[in-house]
Amino acid sequence: MVDLIIILSLTALGYFVGSWVEKRHYSSIREREQQFLRLPAITTKEIPFPAGRIRSIKLVEGSAVISIDYFKRLLAMLRNIFGGTITSYESLLDRARRESLLRMKEQAPEAAIIVNVRIETSAIGKYSRKRNIGCLEALAYGTAVTLVEQE
Amino acid sequence: MNYTPRLPKHNYNVSPVSPLRELLVLLGGLLAIIVVAYILLGYGADILAAHISPESEQKLASILPYRFDTNKKGDAKEALLQRLIDKIKKKNCAALPYPVTVHVVESDIVNAMALPGGRIVVFSGLLDRMQSENELVFVLGHEMGHFKNRDHLRSLGRGLVFAFISTLIDSSNGSVAHLIGKSVQVTESGFSREQESAADAFALQTLNCVYGHVGGSTDFFKHMPKKLDPGHIGHYFSSHPENEKRIRALTALSREKGYSTGPKTALILPKK
Repeated sequence: MVDLIIILSLTALGYFVGSWVEKRHYSSIREREQQFLRLPAITTKEIPFPAGRIRSIKLVEGSAVISIDYFKRLLAMLRNIFGGTITSYESLLDRARRESLLRMKEQAPEAAIIVNVRIETSAIGKYSRKRNIGCLEALAYGTAVTLVEQE
Repeated sequence: MNYTPRLPKHNYNVSPVSPLRELLVLLGGLLAIIVVAYILLGYGADILAAHISPESEQKLASILPYRFDTNKKGDAKEALLQRLIDKIKKKNCAALPYPVTVHVVESDIVNAMALPGGRIVVFSGLLDRMQSENELVFVLGHEMGHFKNRDHLRSLGRGLVFAFISTLIDSSNGSVAHLIGKSVQVTESGFSREQESAADAFALQTLNCVYGHVGGSTDFFKHMPKKLDPGHIGHYFSSHPENEKRIRALTALSREKGYSTGPKTALILPKK
């Protein structure tokens, strides 16, 4: 009975607090994405500028770790039984990817473009049997290109 | 090359699904499947229970894990209870197809149980509260009533069905099975109310047969401590009908059958 109450309250906590945190995170993401709109991050390896205009290049990377809450985990577990798209994890991955991209861009605010951008994800603490509440990391990295100032 | 800065209008990576709706659909579907499977398999177990022969039951009982020490010899309380069982049997008051053995388990628990293989377990906590032999015969008769109605096999069958279902879910994940398991346990504590009432009726009949009257039949419920009365906590947590209700049902049944009350036989419990 006590276990049931604990599980239910953790799930409720996960739902209420989790969606509040997610909402706040998304509004922060949208705001910063707007700020960095002028800095494109692309996946091509070639720098679309003539070599003479390049002042410097550097490696930039951003990583973000987002945790699963009990509510999302419950939904995913139920989905595991029936099969189908695990929609409850989609926002976690989306937030992690966008946050890591933003953090990457924040390292090079002066750059004109970031090329060769890659995003990688990995699960953290997935196999701990006792508290199998996992979290995931998204790591975004690329080459930031700064141009020579033009008159 | 022209770069037009623009954010995507729509987030294609996150499905616009309400999480609560998803939870309701998934959990509802899962619970519905489990409930249907449980009811169907449970009925199957009930039907099977009626067809298990006493010999098969003995065999079944011998392979079941048994958590009570039944090998202690020369327990005076056990001997006393066994004498009462023999008395019931000699008078042909409880027609059971196999011999019944009684085990006394030292514990504060105020309860008795009917286990497969004709084994009755009486906790010493219950024995200590007994004030007359009649009262004790009623309790034994009640457990024998469970044997007579094969309730112990049914509950065993349902227990197996439950274990089967929870293992199935458990193989896919831990926590959901845990959650459902907890909630099913609350609804599945021992026998159903109907089974308890039927066993009460059997016990009343046995009591009347042994002593020629039903004096002491309701004593047990009166001696139950208030806090153990399931009606006190809320009957959802117990399969026993509330004591008051059982007393009323027994009184009504004795009146209907024309049973009389008479002097109770004293019970002398051996000291430890």
